[in-house]
Amino acid sequence: MTLLELRDVAKTFGDTIALSPTSLAIEEGSFVAIVGPSGCGKSTMFNVIAGLLTPDGGDVLVKGERVNGTTGHVGYMLQKDLLVPWRTVEDNITMAKRLTGRVSAADREEARAVARQYGLGDFLRHYPTALSGGMRQRVAFMRTLVTHQTLLLLDEPFGALDAQTRLEMQQWLLQVWRDTGRTVLFITHDVDESIFLSDRVIVMSPRPGRVVADFANPLPRPRTVDTLIEPAFIDLKTKVMRLLHREDA
Amino acid sequence: MTRKILRNVGVPILSFVLLLLVWQWIVVGFHVASYIAPRPRQAFLAVTQNWSALWPLILGTIRETVYGFFVGAALGLSLGVIMAKVPVLQRIVYPVLVLSQAVPIIALAAPLVLILGFSVTPKVVIVAWIVFFPVTVNVLDGLTHVDKDLLNLARVYGASRWRTFIHIEIPATATPLFSGLKIGATYAVTGAIIGELAASDGASLALYQEHANANLNTAAVYGTTMVMTAIGITWFLLVVGVEVFATPWQRRTVARRWRRR
Repeated sequence: MTLLELRDVAKTFGDTIALSPTSLAIEEGSFVAIVGPSGCGKSTMFNVIAGLLTPDGGDVLVKGERVNGTTGHVGYMLQKDLLVPWRTVEDNITMAKRLTGRVSAADREEARAVARQYGLGDFLRHYPTALSGGMRQRVAFMRTLVTHQTLLLLDEPFGALDAQTRLEMQQWLLQVWRDTGRTVLFITHDVDESIFLSDRVIVMSPRPGRVVADFANPLPRPRTVDTLIEPAFIDLKTKVMRLLHREDA
Repeated sequence: MTRKILRNVGVPILSFVLLLLVWQWIVVGFHVASYIAPRPRQAFLAVTQNWSALWPLILGTIRETVYGFFVGAALGLSLGVIMAKVPVLQRIVYPVLVLSQAVPIIALAAPLVLILGFSVTPKVVIVAWIVFFPVTVNVLDGLTHVDKDLLNLARVYGASRWRTFIHIEIPATATPLFSGLKIGATYAVTGAIIGELAASDGASLALYQEHANANLNTAAVYGTTMVMTAIGITWFLLVVGVEVFATPWQRRTVARRWRRR
């Protein structure tokens, strides 16, 4: 079933075409990576899908319903964890509820359960400043999870982490994705990351921002560190790299 | 923990004692006449021996300081919020606010007395006049610098503007707000004294000091100054106390036990 559909969605800022007319369909439960250099319109596309920006043309449909310029239908996470320093880990996880309604005892229990399940049970009453970068990103992701949105938009969520932590977080994310069956749209400029995580790799390119390729990812799951050296991995990486570098030249 | 308390409380007390010692050494060492500068002990005695006469005056000054502070803080916070939320108003009001602080307070007192009489009100107005400005400037600065991505995240969740304001913007402004309040707290007592000097017909701490000065009772002049300073410092410390209590995340890694059952 198609969860998200873009129909000729376009966005311009002044004279700059941030996103030229783009059409895209995302299957429910899939993990789709979007890779491209900065300025290729991937973040603009995210903001249009999230409803932070209204497209100049075309339609954004979630479960067949037009959602142009409206918010409240996606989970959303950026490279910046955006945890608020004045709330504990538990209260950060329940932030979306606090902002839209009342945080119930069940919401708090859910937040605690998610934190315990994914290894942050001992930090529920900590303030975010006490946590490492990787832990903070995990809290930010839990905050996204408990919004119960089917569609999660992750914009370079691990971009600020060191290589070691990043690999751990990627495997953790795949585990959570498998556990919860959400649909993930994952922006990155790291080609390895895009292939390691996804079912499908969408390549974008700048001036004007547009989709230039859409590859199905043949790699089997579960993925391990060994996945990174499989021939199929190298093969797909080569194709993506060629596209990205052709644009550079 | 004990070491931290010792450092945070002990060191300030030590520097205060040091100040008194230096005062004592200068007065004694340079043989300064007591009508020019008394010894610390004489200044203290001038206060304690006249305590029954001073206490009502002190209460009066405290009242003016505290009332004025609250009026100024409330006004400052409201103005900061309104100006942050309505940019047009900010452009119109901001120059007027700067102008208000350029007016010498003393020059303001005379018309205030004409309008408000010799009651407590003109003093409260003067204190508020001094206090609101740092609060407004800091709140405005805080509110306009809340992380845009954080505000966008709230929008993505579907949060209303009101809830975003209450749960994101206000707490994000806590630190600059308290900076403004602390600056206001230190100046508040000065405003009260200026008000008393310029707009008192009866008894007040400022006039008490004037009389002591006219009578060459230097010990009482110094003593009264110490009392005024003590009011200012106490009020400042109270504000700091409230800040410590209200913003636990700035000092602690784990929330207080009672916050969550």
